[in-house]
Amino acid sequence: MKVSIFSTCLVDLMFPGVGRSMVEVLERLGCETDFPASQVCCGQPTYNSGYLEESKQAMINMMVAFEQSDYVVGPSGSCVAMFHESPHIFKGDPTWELKAIALKNKSFEFTQFIVRVLGITDVGARLQGRAAYHRSCHMSRLLGETETPFLLLDRVDGLELAPLANADNCCGFGGTFSVKMPDISQQMADEKSACVVDTGADYLISADMGCLMNIGGRLSRTRQEIKVMHIAEVLNCAADPVKGGTTS
Amino acid sequence: MNAQPSNRSAFLDRVADSLGRPRRTDGVQRPAWKHNVHLEQLADRTPEQLVEILKEQCFFIHTQVIESTPDLLQRTLDDLIAGYGGGPVIRSGDPRFMRYGLSFLGDSVWSAQAGRAENIRLAEAANIALVFADYALAESGTVVLESRPDQGRALHFLPSHYIAVIEWERIVPRSTQAMAEMNRRHEAGGSLGSCINLISGPSNSADIEMQLVVGVHGPLRATYVLI
Amino acid sequence: MSLKTDNRAFGARTADGIGDAFMRGAVGSAQDSLKTRRLTAATALGDWEAWRELGQQIRQHTLANLDYYLEQMADNVERRGGHVFFARTKEEASGYILGVVKSKQARKIVKSKSMVTEEIEMNRVLLEAGCEVIESDLGEYILQEDDWDPPSHIVAPALHKNREQIRDVFAAKLNYEGDETPEHLARFARTVLREKFLEAEIGITGCNFAVANLGAINLVTNEGNGDLTAALPPTHIAVMGMERIVPTLEEMEVLDNLLCRSAVGQKLTSYITVMGPREEGDTDGPEEFHLVIVDNGRSDILASEFHEALQCIRCGACLNVCPVYRHIGGHAYGSIYPGPIGAVITPLLGGYDDYKELPYASSLCGACTDVCPVKIPLHQQLVLHRQNIVSQGRTGSVDRIQMKAVGKVLSSPALFAGTLRLANPMSTLLSKHGRIVRGPAPLSGWIGSRDLPQPVKKRDGFRDWYPHREGGGHS
Repeated sequence: MKVSIFSTCLVDLMFPGVGRSMVEVLERLGCETDFPASQVCCGQPTYNSGYLEESKQAMINMMVAFEQSDYVVGPSGSCVAMFHESPHIFKGDPTWELKAIALKNKSFEFTQFIVRVLGITDVGARLQGRAAYHRSCHMSRLLGETETPFLLLDRVDGLELAPLANADNCCGFGGTFSVKMPDISQQMADEKSACVVDTGADYLISADMGCLMNIGGRLSRTRQEIKVMHIAEVLNCAADPVKGGTTS
Repeated sequence: MNAQPSNRSAFLDRVADSLGRPRRTDGVQRPAWKHNVHLEQLADRTPEQLVEILKEQCFFIHTQVIESTPDLLQRTLDDLIAGYGGGPVIRSGDPRFMRYGLSFLGDSVWSAQAGRAENIRLAEAANIALVFADYALAESGTVVLESRPDQGRALHFLPSHYIAVIEWERIVPRSTQAMAEMNRRHEAGGSLGSCINLISGPSNSADIEMQLVVGVHGPLRATYVLI
Repeated sequence: MSLKTDNRAFGARTADGIGDAFMRGAVGSAQDSLKTRRLTAATALGDWEAWRELGQQIRQHTLANLDYYLEQMADNVERRGGHVFFARTKEEASGYILGVVKSKQARKIVKSKSMVTEEIEMNRVLLEAGCEVIESDLGEYILQEDDWDPPSHIVAPALHKNREQIRDVFAAKLNYEGDETPEHLARFARTVLREKFLEAEIGITGCNFAVANLGAINLVTNEGNGDLTAALPPTHIAVMGMERIVPTLEEMEVLDNLLCRSAVGQKLTSYITVMGPREEGDTDGPEEFHLVIVDNGRSDILASEFHEALQCIRCGACLNVCPVYRHIGGHAYGSIYPGPIGAVITPLLGGYDDYKELPYASSLCGACTDVCPVKIPLHQQLVLHRQNIVSQGRTGSVDRIQMKAVGKVLSSPALFAGTLRLANPMSTLLSKHGRIVRGPAPLSGWIGSRDLPQPVKKRDGFRDWYPHREGGGHS
């Protein structure tokens, strides 16, 4: 199966290990990958800030970048959800509406792709310890995906999932929200961090680096010893320690 | 009366403008609704099951349910009244009180003859209000009552305790059936009370620290008697 | 009270909210319990999504034919001997109500909770005319006695107060001598207010839904205060926002079910009443009934891309799940309509000049949209507001320059490639041990409370790794 990697700008800038893990897991599962180099960003930062024209330019760039792809897979429920919103944003546009629909139909969040397209729940990963999983709002509400991360984590050898209180509450990231309303955002991150700490987990896992950067940034500032991992890194912790995915 | 103009035409023209079309004054039909979930909910339950649902729900709404029979009804009500500390009792003028041969020592009756002020005075002075339900809604533990000359609006709210008698055959699954039947009656030109009360247990409030207090402005306690 | 509850800037209001530990504890635990109760009540209906779609369809049909249903309502009220006044503005609405009060030479007014009466500043107008206006909802009464403290939640207005504060208010203002037990406080209020109901000359209520084919209004309460307000005084004035109408009892029934479950997790609240002008032969109920139908900016909303906001049935469910409301509380919104729905409709009713921050007070997490029983796309409407604020040039030049530059970089492969090359070296001056430790706004907003890793060197980045990885690639 041929998969185009949608790395996301955040991974490009700051979290290369997440992209690497995603590629390694997908290739280990038999996918052939490519990386259309003209891709940049899904357009969400400008869209959510109200800069519609600027965000449309970003979305158009992505439609062109992935035009030839069979599947587009990204390590972020939020960025993929933006692809799913874009047909509504280009509604009535003679040139781009159909292309937006095409991109939506072939785009999947990483865990969603493994479970729903590849039909796999056990990727042969192994990670010893207790983990709290943060379900990102955009992945669960906008993309509507609430199951696949759990199906995959359930099969990670040695990993125990701890129930997280108020799991439905936003962590306070919200893209530009986190810098435009830092005081409110901090309160939200604080409460989320406290809930994570209360689980006694060794790891905090999520499928969105934005949330993890936010909660992780707060955990690290408050000197909490919890390792923050993207789910791609967890699934890349192969039984073979040489291939272990904690490379970020 | 008030001499101010009602602005009606200008107001409604503006609304039509906002909707981007001329005024609609007739020909509007309700569409076929996408779903019938309200009609289907609990529609398949037997009368026995509905009674069980009603009883269970009443537990959650702090309402006592007592099962009685037409023969025992007088005694049941007498006991209840005594349990609530006795009279004064005010009851509606519902003909069913007569039909079941009920009478209460020293009670007063909400009546067309008494007039507004006197009815309100008696209800305010009463410890207990006693009524017959027109419908009972199993799902929500609700009694439905229409206002009539012999059953005023304030009767349900002024006394400290509230007793409603529910006849088995008046129990319907939920609010859907009662409201649909009343709407049918209205649209067929039949009479409908000027006030319809759906009452689900005693009055309550959670306005102080979200802590439930039973008994605020209306009755402090409520009991349904099933016959 | 008017729409606006606080003249201070958004930042000051928010700081107050964040600093109020009691309020935040109260809001947090109220949210937690209401969320669970709502979910249980919704789940009990089986296919909740179908219920929401039904509610949405009913609201959309009614709004699409609003002129027709309002006229039908008015005809039916008048046929039954009631009076109807169509108020285009808040001044017309409160002016009409004052006119009725004066024509009755009334002084004593009792009212039940109604957001629209707050919006039209009715209490101020009546108080200035020398009337006594008593709020009979327990929560509202507490706020009134505390010198008209603004409400902080559309369903639980006094959520921000604790029992000790309430006891102190009652003691200072009403010579209450009891303790702070909620039951005792409520029983005391009952006694005081019962007198007020009995002596009131005019009762004023809101209206959850007008039932068009009946010419009646529907009130949904738990306390029974709405019923006493409407039934006892000789004159009843009901005030409704023009969008709060349904065709018949059948649609009212569906919406009442959605409302009660969404608002408080009850199947039905204790008192759901459908009341119209009294009929010939009725022994109580008002001798005179007035219905005031208020536009006050709603027709503009109806014509705009925000028209779905008029579907709102004021259940408050969006407040109960909102993580921002959770931490700043209702007063921070500076409006009688707080929370997500408040952030949508307050700028529409009150304008961007005063309320342009509200649409940004959201992480766009979508919890509100998910929970709305009539499917208002709340978080999308917040984005729409942001688009308007940007296109009207209201964001300030720094934001505009920054975001336009971000927009350029994020849609240009060449500029982004340059950014990947420069991000690490340029951030080195701001960084220590691989973390950014200082920087200008908006960066400073983040690093004030959270660590931020430095961007990686280009050669360590994903894009440089990919083509050179083990097994090779197709770039």
